[in-house]
Amino acid sequence: MRFGPLVVTFLTGAVLIAIFFIPHHRAQETQSVILEWADIVYTFALVLGSISLWAMHQKKVQQKGEGWIYSVVTLVALLGVTAFGVIQGVEAGTVVGRIYNMVNAPLASTMFSLLAFFIASAAFRAFRARNVEATLLLVTAIVMMVGRVSVGEFVWKGFPPLTEWLLDVPNLAAKRAVAIGIGLGAISTALKIILGIDRSYLGRS
Amino acid sequence: MAAGRNGFWQRILGIDRRWIFLLVGIGTALPLIFPVNLPVAASPRVKAAYNAIEAVPEGSRVLMSLDYEPDIMAELQPMSIAVLRHCFRRHLTPIILTLYPAGPGLIERALAVASTAEGAKNYQDYVFLGYKSGNQAVVLGLGENIKGLFPKDFYGASTDSITLMRHVNSFTDFPLLIDLSGSTIADYYIRIGASRYHRPMILGATAVMATDYYPYLSSRQILGLIGGMKGAAEYERLMGIVGDARRGMDAQSLVHVIVVILVLLGNAALFATGGIKPRIGGGS
Amino acid sequence: MGETIDTRWFEPARLNLLVGLLTFIAFLAINIRRAHASHEGLFIRPLAGLKALDEAIGRATEMGRPVLYLPGSGDMSEVGTLAAITISSRVARRVADLGCDLRVPCYDPVVAALIDGTTREAYREANRADSFRPGSVYYVSATQFAYVASVTGTMLRDRPAANIFMGSFYAESLFLAETGNLTGAIQIAGCDQVTQLPFFVCSCDYTLLGEELYAASAYLGREPNQLATIAAQDWAKALAAAAVVLALLLSAIGHPEFGQLLKTS
Repeated sequence: MRFGPLVVTFLTGAVLIAIFFIPHHRAQETQSVILEWADIVYTFALVLGSISLWAMHQKKVQQKGEGWIYSVVTLVALLGVTAFGVIQGVEAGTVVGRIYNMVNAPLASTMFSLLAFFIASAAFRAFRARNVEATLLLVTAIVMMVGRVSVGEFVWKGFPPLTEWLLDVPNLAAKRAVAIGIGLGAISTALKIILGIDRSYLGRS
Repeated sequence: MAAGRNGFWQRILGIDRRWIFLLVGIGTALPLIFPVNLPVAASPRVKAAYNAIEAVPEGSRVLMSLDYEPDIMAELQPMSIAVLRHCFRRHLTPIILTLYPAGPGLIERALAVASTAEGAKNYQDYVFLGYKSGNQAVVLGLGENIKGLFPKDFYGASTDSITLMRHVNSFTDFPLLIDLSGSTIADYYIRIGASRYHRPMILGATAVMATDYYPYLSSRQILGLIGGMKGAAEYERLMGIVGDARRGMDAQSLVHVIVVILVLLGNAALFATGGIKPRIGGGS
Repeated sequence: MGETIDTRWFEPARLNLLVGLLTFIAFLAINIRRAHASHEGLFIRPLAGLKALDEAIGRATEMGRPVLYLPGSGDMSEVGTLAAITISSRVARRVADLGCDLRVPCYDPVVAALIDGTTREAYREANRADSFRPGSVYYVSATQFAYVASVTGTMLRDRPAANIFMGSFYAESLFLAETGNLTGAIQIAGCDQVTQLPFFVCSCDYTLLGEELYAASAYLGREPNQLATIAAQDWAKALAAAAVVLALLLSAIGHPEFGQLLKTS
């Protein structure tokens, strides 16, 4: 039962790696087709996900579990938006378009804006001079926070160039090093899966 | 007395985070109500992006991919408006598209502001192709057949019939690529548009993501980089306009100062109490 | 306008990448042999975050509170998500052994289906198939902040004793980590997005930095082949560092040719 998925994984991975080195137009067309297939599979997976979401919330409503009212809201929204989307489409001016612009968009922006508050509380708690490394972090954070805004120039003319240097030299060096490590780790993880060394995504036994 | 002082510092260390949230809320709201208009100096990266557009001959078409959704519009929308206005002022024709499903609504708003300010008109000064799903597949397709990907523009007109789309069908037909992105879609444009097709490219990204692209700037795979609201404010300064980014920088400046003061206070409390650090209070 | 069709079967500009890939595969083969030949197994330096996993799950069991595992907000095309899926099976096995509750809210439906399968399998391997709670692994939403809203709500209501963040996280990282911190949970994070690491470092008790996430599965399983991939990674990194230093030195004395060989396109 595992042999089939392992073979498919190996062949797909090997073909895509090979295509990276083959500029032949047929190879590139094959890559485009495979990428389109991936989109199609994902679309079906969304249907699967919606069914699983429906089942979970329906059970909660049936059993009158804690917060079941919110599950009713979820189910009504899921059904309603899907129905309107199928009947009318999703362009601007349709019900779905309006729901997206008047509900989703402001909610998403609001949630994102909450990050400003969380950053402040995280900074207050985390930037403490407990040891040498933490002190370095603290000093750098203060220099960056002051230097990256207009106020920095008022405080000291050297802040903006100092922050640019911090970003261009130590930050860039560290990022490149971490990126090389991540790149190699990603190759390693991908090869593990393609070659069947790591089969835990299929269940291990 | 010493116990009282220690108690004060202990209270600072254990401060309920809701006080911090309140201070940040005030710091954000006040400058928006009472604008200060702090000056903004343009950084070399943003100047490079500005100069890249300045260097494009008048009358050329540029490909603009605006890939962001409402959650990050605070950083990227002002950038889009400033860059669009720059293109219109330079009499360049942006051919605009998006790879985000929620992008068209925001792009229409940006186009409305920019075109009103510079007197630009649809089909005469710009073309908006709309949204296409597929991310990397779309970017690959832009290198080969744009009209095949977008047989119609956002408003339903056939791209074959649009005058501004004549002689434009792939990356190679554009002297400049502009990607303003809130995600790793920028990587596809750099890898495919800038590296494979050797197109000059400038990039706009959120402040958090911008640092990821510094290596590409130093290797000249991108010519300029506009990072976050600060980058957008710098671009507005270069354009001589006061938009949402420059207004937002006042709030950002004050909040940064508040956070720095809180951090210094926290450290002072840590030293005063000899390193005793109870967990800060929760909200619920 | 004439179109040129590429009919080449190999891109010479990518020869250096092919050599690099084949070198890596060679390192892998050598280290797999070494791993199987070694009685004690290949050495991996301890990772504090992974050592703390057992402590975190044990704490959750003692407190009678669930363990929350978040596989990130990437989809199956991201390597971080693949790493998160493989780690989830290890975490599920530990949870099954100790008998506490596991919650895995997922951002991607395919990921949810896969983790559901691996979790069931892990419970079966621990002879605790009956303890597996259907619905413990569930799809939430493929919209970033809808996912965040649901997960933070779960954190505040259910008060998990341990939050484990493994995978590709984006802007939601600080949101999730700070909310978890607010509830007093022990938090272990591993993320391959460099831009999000500072947020996890500030808010979590333990953080796996970058490639340590990819090593986690091998670290937890201790299987020879998996340990071999970490060793191969380290050899490749050492080779890359040596190549960069050599290119720098040669360029400094007026011979940039070696550096040109390392350029990619």
